[in-house]
Amino acid sequence: MNLFNYKHLALIAAFVTALWACSGGGTDNPTPVNPTDQAGSNRKAMLTNIADNIILPSYANFKTKLDGMLIKSDAFTAKPDKTTLADFRQAWVEAYTEWQKVELFDVGPAEQYTLRNFFNIYPTNAAGIEEYITAGTGALDVASSYPKQGFPALDYLLNGLGTTDDAIVARYTTAPDAAKRIAYLKRLTTQMNTQFTTVYSAWTTGYRDTFIDCTALNAGCSTSKLVNSYVLNYERYIRSGKFGIPSGAMTNGTVAPGTVEGLYKKDISRMLAQTAHQASVDFFNGKSVKTGEEGPSLKSYLNALGTKDGSQGTLVTTLINNQFTAITQQLATLKPNLYNEVQTNNAAMVETYTQMQKITRMLKVDMTTAMSITITYTDNDGD
Amino acid sequence: MMGTEISLRFMAHGLQLPKPGFSAPDGSVQPTTQIHKPKTENDKPFTAAAPLAVFRILFGLMLFGSIVRFWSKGWINELYIQPRYFFPFYGFEFVQPLGVYTYLLFTLCGLSALLVAIGFLYRIASISLFFSFTYIELIDKSTYLNHYYFTSMVCLLLIFLPAHAYFSVDAYRRPGLAARHIPVWCLDALKLFVAFLYVYAGLAKLNSDWLLHALPLRIWLPAHNDFPIVGFLFNYTWVPYVFSWFGCLYDVSIPFLLWNARTRPWAYVAVVVFHGLTALLFPIGMFPYIMIVTALIFFSPGFHQRIIRQLSVSLAIPATFWEVQRTYRYPAFRERIILGFLTLFFLFQLLFPLRYLLYPGELFWTEEGYRFSWRVMLMEKAGYAQFTVKDDAGHQTIVNNTRFLTPLQEKMMATQPDMILQYAHLLRDHYRRQGFVNPQVYVDSYVALNGRLGKPLIDPTTNLANEQDSFRHKTWITPLNDTIYGF
Repeated sequence: MNLFNYKHLALIAAFVTALWACSGGGTDNPTPVNPTDQAGSNRKAMLTNIADNIILPSYANFKTKLDGMLIKSDAFTAKPDKTTLADFRQAWVEAYTEWQKVELFDVGPAEQYTLRNFFNIYPTNAAGIEEYITAGTGALDVASSYPKQGFPALDYLLNGLGTTDDAIVARYTTAPDAAKRIAYLKRLTTQMNTQFTTVYSAWTTGYRDTFIDCTALNAGCSTSKLVNSYVLNYERYIRSGKFGIPSGAMTNGTVAPGTVEGLYKKDISRMLAQTAHQASVDFFNGKSVKTGEEGPSLKSYLNALGTKDGSQGTLVTTLINNQFTAITQQLATLKPNLYNEVQTNNAAMVETYTQMQKITRMLKVDMTTAMSITITYTDNDGD
Repeated sequence: MMGTEISLRFMAHGLQLPKPGFSAPDGSVQPTTQIHKPKTENDKPFTAAAPLAVFRILFGLMLFGSIVRFWSKGWINELYIQPRYFFPFYGFEFVQPLGVYTYLLFTLCGLSALLVAIGFLYRIASISLFFSFTYIELIDKSTYLNHYYFTSMVCLLLIFLPAHAYFSVDAYRRPGLAARHIPVWCLDALKLFVAFLYVYAGLAKLNSDWLLHALPLRIWLPAHNDFPIVGFLFNYTWVPYVFSWFGCLYDVSIPFLLWNARTRPWAYVAVVVFHGLTALLFPIGMFPYIMIVTALIFFSPGFHQRIIRQLSVSLAIPATFWEVQRTYRYPAFRERIILGFLTLFFLFQLLFPLRYLLYPGELFWTEEGYRFSWRVMLMEKAGYAQFTVKDDAGHQTIVNNTRFLTPLQEKMMATQPDMILQYAHLLRDHYRRQGFVNPQVYVDSYVALNGRLGKPLIDPTTNLANEQDSFRHKTWITPLNDTIYGF
């Protein structure tokens, strides 16, 4: 049976031999040369490590801090004074910091219930909060209410009501609307507890298995959703939210100090950004939250694929980590109070944004293209 | 250049271009020798009408199914109604989105496909099918797919072919139309067009990324390493090489193997395996199935006659209907006109995919002359484009693309220079309305092609607001600084 047309085959062979000969001297040939590493490209192992050693322990840590904050909140609403306020505020800082380590997992239940919307939409809407307090009611599950709740709203209620602690405590004790204000505070902390419990219990009652079993790389499965949400978090909520918008780098160059994270507390803004950045770095490297050791991760997966810079032969993961390090160093040059930094040292803020822009491109283009992660939700024929 | 030479030799095989007044092709490429072939006074040969009738039915039903599928997935709304802006094709800017009336357009298209399938009011239906389908595809460049272009062109051909002469409602209603034989060029035109698609798709794979680096399959296949049973194979580097080489050989040889009666059964097995595999591995929708069905036109009249007979039996259609003996004859003048049109059509099909040769730079990078050339699955290309709009009055803003584009549009735009320019003009006009005086538009682009690290696609210092789209080379595209050898 003459299955192949040998004449054509010979022609092609001749052509390709010529091609091979021509291209031998090429220097900038595209990447991978190593055979793919069987274990490293096992997505189930990666997802398991991410679920069991990163996401679930991070949620558990956050739950601890959130529960701690709820206790201090109860103490404060039961007996508002300077001591309980200081305790509450301290617990709020700790929980807010811990939040930065879970905000990036916008996948599964967190995505379904839009967890971020209930925890960290800023700048907070102070006027809207006051309206809700005066009214004694108001929906907390509609889009317009997102800037009236979560950590930024607590920031306003704990740090933004007066210039001294005495003044702030007075708003909860002697002010005419003190009772209503306390009631609103309780509503906010209850809301946070409810929303987080919904997401966390979904993870612990079945979603974890769903997550690690969905190993395909199409848009509906874990790896794709995880990577998409991870990159989106870095681009929109770290790069833009924490630096691009306040520094004016993304708008008309006019600084907008009122848009920094932790606006009323002010001196925690850099620390929040550093925590979020480090969480993204650790996630990329698969660093266990429990032991600090690295496991199967985006890094090991990319290394298994052998993704390299064609001209230098450097692993793309090395380039990504180098850029992560550059950002870490850049963040260290900033002063803790980003509200002041945008007004006095904005060039450094813009530089941070620029450095973050570089990593965004690498994560969004170089990483996803090497992993063949599609953000398409319709057919394509690859062209 | 060596590649060009080979392409011409392939063309010589592929081209059986019907010309006005052409004589009978030699028997070796005609699968119809065993069938009674009346001759006209022009000595043009005839062939059985059954293959064209079966093709009409299957193609119409496939298209109808595609429309239903598209509709049921909510894509009409998602792709043609929800987007705020669209990317029309150069020269087809008059094609406007129809808003909610898009549903009517799809209804018309689906209905026409169904009418074509059953051969009812065929002339009108085939014309309306071509125009409605083509209109849909011209609305937005972001949805461009080669197989939509293929479908559109087949619809165009069908307008001129007597696919309703046999085994159709029209033939049933007008016995004077019913015919069992049609001019042989009617079938050959379709076969030739399919051959064009495959051969050009194959030639496009003769490049160093595809053959020497197994790219982009080396990126795409490991993504399926959790595939049942064979998935682990995709972790081995040699597997994408096998796929690449097989795919290339398949494309350049399959039309000839289908045309040849001896190799045809095996070739068809290859068609089913190849397209079946791509259907399993890649999100390419209906394309594999359309090609599997289309390849049937290469089969003998006897094969198609059996299908018709089976169909008649199951539909209780009397044998007198499909055993008609008439021959379909075009009036001589009309046949000349149609053959003249077909000559132009195939001349266009021959030359248009080669227009890329007129552009400098790397085709995969600039995509100048990339579309409408049967370049399928050749690139893993991802990009990121961030636009800055400013003016002399001190306005400046970084654009959030999601405010203007859907995720699909943004993804497509980010890697294709002509779409980047269209979007830049859209932004220019938008911000002018927002009070910017003579807005300037710059783009910070970053594109990765076939596993190369990303680099800027567009010169970041070019004010795109002032650039105009044309068929000329876009000088503001940053060179790739790498060579992909071959076609």
